[in-house]
Amino acid sequence: MDSPPSPSPSPSTRSRGRAIVGDVHFWIPVAVLAAGLVVLWWIA
Amino acid sequence: MSELDPVRLRQLQRVGILSGFAAGAWLGAAEAPTKLVTLGVSPVLISFMMVLGVFLARWSLPALVRGTAALRDDVRQAPHLLVWAALGGCLWAVANTLTIFAIKDIGLAIAFPLWNANSLLGILWGALLFNELRDAGRARWIAVLGGAVVMFAGATVLAVTSSAIAPGGNAVRGVVAALTAGALWGTMYIPYRKAYLTGMHPLSFVAFFTIGELVMMTVLALTFLGGPQQVWRELAASRDILFWLLIAGFVWVVGDLFQQYAAKYVGISRGIPLSNTNQLWGLLWGMLVFGELAHAGRGDVIVGSLLMAAGAGAIAFASAPSREYRRWQEAGARESDRYSVDPAYVAARMAGNDAGAARHGALDWLLVLVATAIFVAAASVARVPALDIAWGWATALTLALFGFLVAGGVALWRTTRFG
Repeated sequence: MDSPPSPSPSPSTRSRGRAIVGDVHFWIPVAVLAAGLVVLWWIA
Repeated sequence: MSELDPVRLRQLQRVGILSGFAAGAWLGAAEAPTKLVTLGVSPVLISFMMVLGVFLARWSLPALVRGTAALRDDVRQAPHLLVWAALGGCLWAVANTLTIFAIKDIGLAIAFPLWNANSLLGILWGALLFNELRDAGRARWIAVLGGAVVMFAGATVLAVTSSAIAPGGNAVRGVVAALTAGALWGTMYIPYRKAYLTGMHPLSFVAFFTIGELVMMTVLALTFLGGPQQVWRELAASRDILFWLLIAGFVWVVGDLFQQYAAKYVGISRGIPLSNTNQLWGLLWGMLVFGELAHAGRGDVIVGSLLMAAGAGAIAFASAPSREYRRWQEAGARESDRYSVDPAYVAARMAGNDAGAARHGALDWLLVLVATAIFVAAASVARVPALDIAWGWATALTLALFGFLVAGGVALWRTTRFG
């Protein structure tokens, strides 16, 4: 009889951090935010 | 990947579209309390006080509806979304501050349609990053894109009409500020969509979103107003208007909650244009309740309103078919794979089938109590401005507002249990 599959270990904070940094979607809002802050600084 | 029952899909689409219209009504009504505020207060301070109200509402409402224990469960499932939520809040705060400068330089007439172009950017991000409108068919593409463009034209007519004061600032600076605000707000919906494709509950998402909002707004207020002592001095001097801005923030949060549900169930390409009907509601409050445009421009208002209504109607009737929803599921599966989130949890949350049980503890009642106490304290020192208000229209619009709240709330409860 096959044993039930063991639950996969929950990903560590570090691997989730790597997933965020490696996600190209993440850098779009970051780039837009940085541009927004530059524009705000210029206006001020 | 399991196929979603077409009947269920239609229910979700209906509730998402209703949420989009309810969002427009409530976000527009948030402008009404700000009209009670007298001139002479720093725009950054006004924005900061509104964010304080937003912060209180964004923690007390989720505590009241679901309880903070449910928030903790959500965070355990998808902790990476805390970063996304805070990032979205930062985008909102910078965009909001930019709009203040844009209005100062080029006036509301030009600035409003420029930042309302965020819906076009939302359509681009939705299609490019999240498979929205993929396999939707040409007719739906035309309806959504055409509807957004028609709404943009309507918004322009309304904004030009509603502008009574000629701008006297730096035009280039104002246009850049307004366009940048639109880009920030349009991009802010990437975190929204990301959250809902990964199963996050809207009430959990907004609670963490507001941390980014408050932190960024505090930094901006300290920078622009000249340090903590100056911020405190200006806050103390403006305490008699604090209540109206806290209320504005609270109303805004109710609208934004509906907007979150719209983003979740119809996507950002349809949800953003629908909630952009807030401009129409803001103008109705100004015109009917506060007597703005009493002598001119009403014909243009009708034209602009009809254009906005036509555009919103076109989008509302272009709901996502099953084949497009499958592409959304693919995007959700990609997210659950990337961030190691349980695919069953993601699928159930996307279909509005797993709202999680509401559990209330002492912390929840404490949050509600503290928020209520702050509102009561602010009300006790509030000054009622001597303004000519049409109470009949104010009552009618307030009833309409609560009509949307009840209709949207009941539909969400019946269909998703606020999931």
